[in-house]
Amino acid sequence: MENTSVSLSAQQMEKHYGGVVALSDAHLDVESGQVMALIGANGSGKSTLCKIITGVVEPDRGRLSLDGERMTFPSPQVAKDQGIAAVYQELSLIPDMTVAENIWLTHEPLTGGVLVDSKRVQEETRELLDLFSGTYSGKLEPGVPVSTLSPDERQIVEILKALSLNPRLMILDEATASLDAQQVDRLFNLIADWKEAGKAIIFVSHRMEEIMRIADCVSVLRNGETVGTSPIEETDEDELVEMMVGATQAVPRVEEAPKKLSEARTRLKVENLETRVLKGVDLEVRDGELLGIGGLQGQGQSDLLLAAFGVIPFCGRMTLAGQEVHFTHPRQAMRHRLALVPGDRAAEGLLMRRSILENLQLPSWMKYGFPLNVEKAREDANRVADTLNLVMAGLSAPVRSLSGGNAQKVVLGKWLLRDPNLLLLNDPTKGVDVGTKQEFYNLLNELRQEGTAIVLYSTDDQELLGLCDRVLVLQDGQITAELSGETLTHAELVKASLGSSQGNDV
Amino acid sequence: MNDIRLKRLALRHPYLFALLLLVVALGVNLYFQPNLFSQRVLSGNMRIFLPTMFLAAGQAIVVIAGGIDLSVGAMVSMVNAILVTLITRESTSSDIVVGLLAALGAGMAAGAFNGVCVAFLRLQPIVTTYATSFIFAGAALYILPRPGGLLPSGMTSFYRSTPLGIPLALWIAVLIGAVWVVVRRTRFARFLFSVGGEPESAYATGVPVSLMRLSTYVAAGLMASLSALTLTLNTGTGDPRIGEQMTLSSIVAVVLGGTRLSGGQGGVIGTLMGVVVLGTIRNIISFAQVPTWWETLVDALIVVGALAGPGLIRLIRGQREGT
Repeated sequence: MENTSVSLSAQQMEKHYGGVVALSDAHLDVESGQVMALIGANGSGKSTLCKIITGVVEPDRGRLSLDGERMTFPSPQVAKDQGIAAVYQELSLIPDMTVAENIWLTHEPLTGGVLVDSKRVQEETRELLDLFSGTYSGKLEPGVPVSTLSPDERQIVEILKALSLNPRLMILDEATASLDAQQVDRLFNLIADWKEAGKAIIFVSHRMEEIMRIADCVSVLRNGETVGTSPIEETDEDELVEMMVGATQAVPRVEEAPKKLSEARTRLKVENLETRVLKGVDLEVRDGELLGIGGLQGQGQSDLLLAAFGVIPFCGRMTLAGQEVHFTHPRQAMRHRLALVPGDRAAEGLLMRRSILENLQLPSWMKYGFPLNVEKAREDANRVADTLNLVMAGLSAPVRSLSGGNAQKVVLGKWLLRDPNLLLLNDPTKGVDVGTKQEFYNLLNELRQEGTAIVLYSTDDQELLGLCDRVLVLQDGQITAELSGETLTHAELVKASLGSSQGNDV
Repeated sequence: MNDIRLKRLALRHPYLFALLLLVVALGVNLYFQPNLFSQRVLSGNMRIFLPTMFLAAGQAIVVIAGGIDLSVGAMVSMVNAILVTLITRESTSSDIVVGLLAALGAGMAAGAFNGVCVAFLRLQPIVTTYATSFIFAGAALYILPRPGGLLPSGMTSFYRSTPLGIPLALWIAVLIGAVWVVVRRTRFARFLFSVGGEPESAYATGVPVSLMRLSTYVAAGLMASLSALTLTLNTGTGDPRIGEQMTLSSIVAVVLGGTRLSGGQGGVIGTLMGVVVLGTIRNIISFAQVPTWWETLVDALIVVGALAGPGLIRLIRGQREGT
């Protein structure tokens, strides 16, 4: 099997975006039958390195060799022709095209060299879908537009799209992020098959447990530099995390007991809250309390936060510090010193093209008079940037030049500037690296000590367990469990999340 | 679930709404003009519709790929001027061939100019093509300062012919549709829709995005040439400002045909139906003895309505944007 064997080597890769260094000295070697895990904190350059290998991004410097020969990939098509395929973190699907059209885009089977052979496309798409059969809903069909699929199904399509190229080298960039456990298992079985068949795999993930399970070798990036590569048997989680985080020791979670909660006053009280998803939710959160919201994804957690912030219409009673309110616009909520960190930071939280200063001050400009006292605004923004330890080229740099973790800090920072007394967080650490996560945790604890009430929805169970005073578990738009004190354990949380399904009403 | 089914239907058959409009419009027209489907009236109507059909088909391709071409009308004027300058009553058949080739070449060159500006210089399509429209309109006036010229009568009578009892213009219209049905099944079409749908994803997948964009403008230029040719065959003469009004018509037809102005969805079949709907509405307006300025108002209202449509539907359904 000579033609399936492959070896790729990237040496001394460098890439700058404007003033920001994405890669300074990155290395990666991978060969047939090997799963090379690529890990690193957010903004360490994993995605950039992957994009260089697939020809989407051109490096400023560095050597790329394939099968021992020096190569350059000036466009994605060239890399593809060499048998390199990638499953991207931000999906590369066209929403309004069908599953089959997306999977076969640019390599459609043709009849007579001109017309797309739609019968073969259908058949081969079905064959590919069968690889994941049983792990997705019945909606996933070759002829369905991708825009109607759920995130996990789109991710499956994305994986199959790369697979349909029958590549020699497969890059999986955070491909498991939106898959459930069963789908991940299936993917790992497939990866094992691919290894057998002589493919090389580059596996990028934040989930340490997955890396330990699937990788043969692991390579760690930190600030654009490869800080170590080792066979998986010769390392462990702690060592890897240490390499990722570097000199700054992983800070243990702060678990100081807050001031007596029962004496604090009730900040938010919600009674019988109903939206299109929620079916009567009651909750209470006190000043200085960190209330967690858990459960499987999409059980109404986001609706709860959005309704409280006046983004979506709702029925039910809501009182803020004893005063009844019914927000119909976020502006009203902001006047009552509420703040919401939304779930999709790129679309809902940030103006990606605008500067960090503008983003930080967007909700606060009215404070700065007319004409705007920009100097003062800049000072305040700098202060909050310091508090957040924001890594940036300067306040006037566009937000899109920031890494995921730093961008999320900007979202948080723009609300901190308004000094909120109720902070609503929608999965704030999604796609944020370990180091930045720890900074977030410390910050939340500080805010809580200062008496800010916090409602945190998180998909990370450990986060809920480690940070929260109480956790409410949502299922199908209702609160099915309230965990605190002794019942706040991982086992209880998982049990409550899965719950007992009360019949299908779909 | 119902929404999904609707969406699938709309994606697969974008022309369904146009078909509905077509039936209604033809019905009303038939009421005012009982001999609408007689050979003479049909032929007359089709000869008038066909130039707009070519133009709108080209516009549809540009729009599907996420662009827009506001210069197609000016291209028609320019090519019309070239045709009547190169081809006269006394032209030999070789002169005529040279004239036709020059006409096609001029349109494609104009389209390529637009395409290079948009695809490679990355200029805004709206601004670029609006600006180039003045270049082409100026060229038309330079070539043919005032209306005039006369095509050989053989050419104009050929355009009026009715092979197998069906008007030639109708045959050609059917041919445009047939060509699209074939093109729809090629890789080119897949690229077209992907570039209009999500250009960055398309690029990351290996679709030659810039080349595709360029090709859509060249196609629009070619179609503008054919539009000018049929228009000149119909009138038999030249007018350097003849295409001025046609740009808006081409966009209206594209919109009526169910092609989304933001790209990535739509087709030529619906666009052809859109042209007929638009033409029929104009017939109705003239039969109903309404002042002709209503035509422009109707055109404009259709575009505004199409742009506002999705937003209005959301507003009525009380949905939040983005979810």
